[in-house]
Amino acid sequence: MEFGFTEEQEKLRKEIREFFMNELPEDYEPGFNNMMGEEVQDWWIKFKEKAIKKGYYVPGWPKEYGGSGFTEIEQSILDEEQGRFGVTWPDFLGLHLVGPSLMMFGTEEQKKRWVPPIARGETVCFEAFTEPDAGSDEANIGCRAEEDGNDFVFNGQKLFISGWYEPTWLFTLARTRDIVPKHRGLSLFLLPADLPGISYRPLSTMGGGRQNYVFFDNVRVPKDNLLGELHRGFYHAMQVFEFERRMTGDAAGGKRLLQELVQFCKETTSGGKPLMENPEIRKTLAKLAMEIEVQRLAGWYSAWRFSERERVGPAPYELSNYYAKKYGASHAKAMLDILGLYGQLATGSKWAALAGRIERMWKVTRSLHAGGTFEVIKIVLARRGLGLPRIPGNMMKAIGEAVMKKV
Amino acid sequence: MDFELSKEQAMLKKEARNFLEKECPEELVREIEKGDQGYSPQLWRKIAELGWLGIIFPEKYGGLGSNMLDLMFIYEEMGRAMFPSPHLSTVVLSGLTILSAGSEAQKTELLTRISDGDLILALAITEPDAAWGDKALDPEGITVQATAEADDYVINGVKLFVHDALIADKILCVARTQDGKNAAEGITIFLVDADATGMHRNVLKTISGDKQCEVVFKNVRVSKENIIGPLHGGWPHVAKAIQHGAVLLCAQMVGAGEEILRITVDYAKTRVQFDAPIGINQYVQGHCTDVVSDVEGCKYITWQAAWKLSENMPSGYEVAVAKAWTSEAFERACLAAHAVFAGYGYTSKDGVLPMYSRRGKIQQLYLGNSDYWLKKVAQQLDTWTFERPEGKALGFWKTSPDEEIPAWKVWTNEDVLEV
Ligand SMILES: Cc1cc2nc3c(=O)[nH]c(=O)nc-3n(C[C@H](O)[C@H](O)[C@H](O)COP(=O)(O)OP(=O)(O)OC[C@H]3O[C@@H](n4cnc5c(N)ncnc54)[C@H](O)[C@@H]3O)c2cc1C
Ligand SMILES: Cc1cc2nc3c(=O)[nH]c(=O)nc-3n(C[C@H](O)[C@H](O)[C@H](O)COP(=O)(O)OP(=O)(O)OC[C@H]3O[C@@H](n4cnc5c(N)ncnc54)[C@H](O)[C@@H]3O)c2cc1C
Repeated sequence: MEFGFTEEQEKLRKEIREFFMNELPEDYEPGFNNMMGEEVQDWWIKFKEKAIKKGYYVPGWPKEYGGSGFTEIEQSILDEEQGRFGVTWPDFLGLHLVGPSLMMFGTEEQKKRWVPPIARGETVCFEAFTEPDAGSDEANIGCRAEEDGNDFVFNGQKLFISGWYEPTWLFTLARTRDIVPKHRGLSLFLLPADLPGISYRPLSTMGGGRQNYVFFDNVRVPKDNLLGELHRGFYHAMQVFEFERRMTGDAAGGKRLLQELVQFCKETTSGGKPLMENPEIRKTLAKLAMEIEVQRLAGWYSAWRFSERERVGPAPYELSNYYAKKYGASHAKAMLDILGLYGQLATGSKWAALAGRIERMWKVTRSLHAGGTFEVIKIVLARRGLGLPRIPGNMMKAIGEAVMKKV
Repeated sequence: MDFELSKEQAMLKKEARNFLEKECPEELVREIEKGDQGYSPQLWRKIAELGWLGIIFPEKYGGLGSNMLDLMFIYEEMGRAMFPSPHLSTVVLSGLTILSAGSEAQKTELLTRISDGDLILALAITEPDAAWGDKALDPEGITVQATAEADDYVINGVKLFVHDALIADKILCVARTQDGKNAAEGITIFLVDADATGMHRNVLKTISGDKQCEVVFKNVRVSKENIIGPLHGGWPHVAKAIQHGAVLLCAQMVGAGEEILRITVDYAKTRVQFDAPIGINQYVQGHCTDVVSDVEGCKYITWQAAWKLSENMPSGYEVAVAKAWTSEAFERACLAAHAVFAGYGYTSKDGVLPMYSRRGKIQQLYLGNSDYWLKKVAQQLDTWTFERPEGKALGFWKTSPDEEIPAWKVWTNEDVLEV
């Protein structure tokens, strides 16, 4: 048991921190890179080059794919520092989902073709899974991919697909056969985002980030864009979600914001007294610190468990995600409440406190369902983690039909 | 970062579990709750043989020289088994105070006797007035006076909620010997014999069935030789023992919590209502995930605090967040378990949940409840600083706050849809 870091790990953390400190621009604002204009986007692309040179882009990947030989723990330290600075790479989905998936179930040829460009930072991947009738119920995907000669022909639509940069590739699930149970008819694809017949429509959001509709209209996708086994895409997708589990970044971002808020409460006075002397504010801040600490440890538990997965097996319970969903909105509320009327002032407004960061965070935390709703996370934890029973899928269908008939 | 128990730790924990499963069944706990003593002398002897009473003392005092983590794993099992004993009072609160503050002679005598199972001690800190507020464990709350008279000190006042005082052979009384500018100065620890004239002990009736006492000191004379640690300078030693004790209470909640999780999930799988196991309902599943998330959180945060203490690192923050979190989370977990057990979690004879729930209450309150430790967390926040370039507003790293948000880059020719 060890709750600290080795000297080398601490050294690495320091180096990473210095890199971001020195390289981030004067006007950098954490968490702001996902809603910005052309100029800033261009900057990010240049900044990414620096990170690649430094070996901080895909450090955990095998060397042959551009990695720097980081262990899982070292990778998590990097994640934590990135979370602290609010850095998200334009192709974070390529790094966290697509690359690892390719390495896990891509053919040799696919790996050679697709992994290096991701590692070189030449790509932007979209995760185009969700559809109007397939949100939590991923198995209900209706976008079709029909075999036709050497191609699959795609027809259908996706929505809520996050993306701020022009995509190079779409990582997508499509229906390759009709079958009961329906989840056995899906396949996973990685395809060029600019194939004829693909179109996009942006969706603006409450929190300022951008999502998109993606439409497929008789899109011919060569067969070698199929990733993994035909019809086993659902299972692959479940694997893909495993890659998202290392979440040391979330708590680090939260802690960073808390540190700023504490500083703010020390420097800001009301009635001649610093806010930090207000007992209620103190208690709220302490509670935030405590919950962030639990979240931080849960993230490290996941990271440690992931790094030892071959030896000790997968974690029995997955909680870092759980805590992130549980606390996201309540922390935003608590922080906004401390700032009171100042808290609702947006970035750029006169009198805005903490540059409007908390106002924005509050809005963004209305989207904690991204990547799986809290309810679904709980159900998965109950069923997979605790072994509680579920209503069999075919019965659920019958129940649904019976209920809908009544309505 | 490494959350794995070493082979030795795993073995120790397993042995502790096996031992307590055999030696400390539920019936024994119920029986002890009913009596006045709060422990089983036979079992006390047995754990002395196992070395649990000297576990964290150096070998020269008859101990095993183990560390706080080892002790924590045993406490997890004590929590699971609801093991009633004066271990925390004797070994941890009193023993660690003596280990930290005592003279060589005191350590040799007292710690060896503790290790051998020959000496039960109780630590008297909290006082009636301070217990109403948030000073129950703070030096400001120490007003029981000890006044010098010739070679003795004379103690007057009342200590409350003193665990195991009735069965203790000696009581460590934390008393005020001087009023200083700083409340922590002027506090001295006295070792008082149980049969000292003028000392009266009364067992209180508690929610948990543990044996807390009122200890009244009326002109109790204690020889100067029986001062533990420096005159006027006892507080830091007590504070250190409190930290260890608080984390071990957390460990008990972790062990109990794991068992509550197990029985609750089992029950949800087997109890049938509306033609199906109740665990098929998402409300019930949600109660179960509440339990697991809270209990796991207790575990990580407690382990971290114990690790820090065991490494002798500064641990004010880690201990404070651990006790603050665990005290709340454990009660939440119990409550969720009660929801699942419904009728069968309320009738006292049916099972262990009511016992865990009741006994957990004192683990939450004792040595500082959540609010108390949150104040300590806040004091730690006072020491935080967030550095930034001079003249820059908070919120931005290095930028001026009134910069325009750059326009949204739209890379298709479609209009932005308002949602
Ligand atoms: C900011 C953001 C970014 C996103 N980015 C992407 C992306 O890049 N790619 C992508 O593919 N998708 C993306 N999504 C979509 C996201 O994955 C879905 O919104 C999410 O899976 C939930 O689906 P839904 O919105 O259709 O809700 P629904 O599935 O319709 O759920 C509605 C409500 O019903 C509940 N519910 C549903 N089923 C059950 C059940 N069986 N038991 C109990 N409760 C249930 C849910 O918990 C929820 O409360 C994004 C969403 C957001 C907000
Ligand atoms: C103090 C006390 C006094 C009582 N007095 C009386 C009395 O005078 N007369 C009398 O007849 N009874 C009495 N009862 C019994 C009481 O009515 C039952 O305890 C209560 O109806 C719950 O039933 P149960 O305990 O069997 O729990 P269960 O029905 O087994 O429920 C266990 C858990 O499963 C949940 N659950 C069950 N079904 C579902 C579902 N379909 N969906 C979601 N969740 C579900 C419940 O909410 C609960 O969390 C008393 C109980 C108590 C505690």
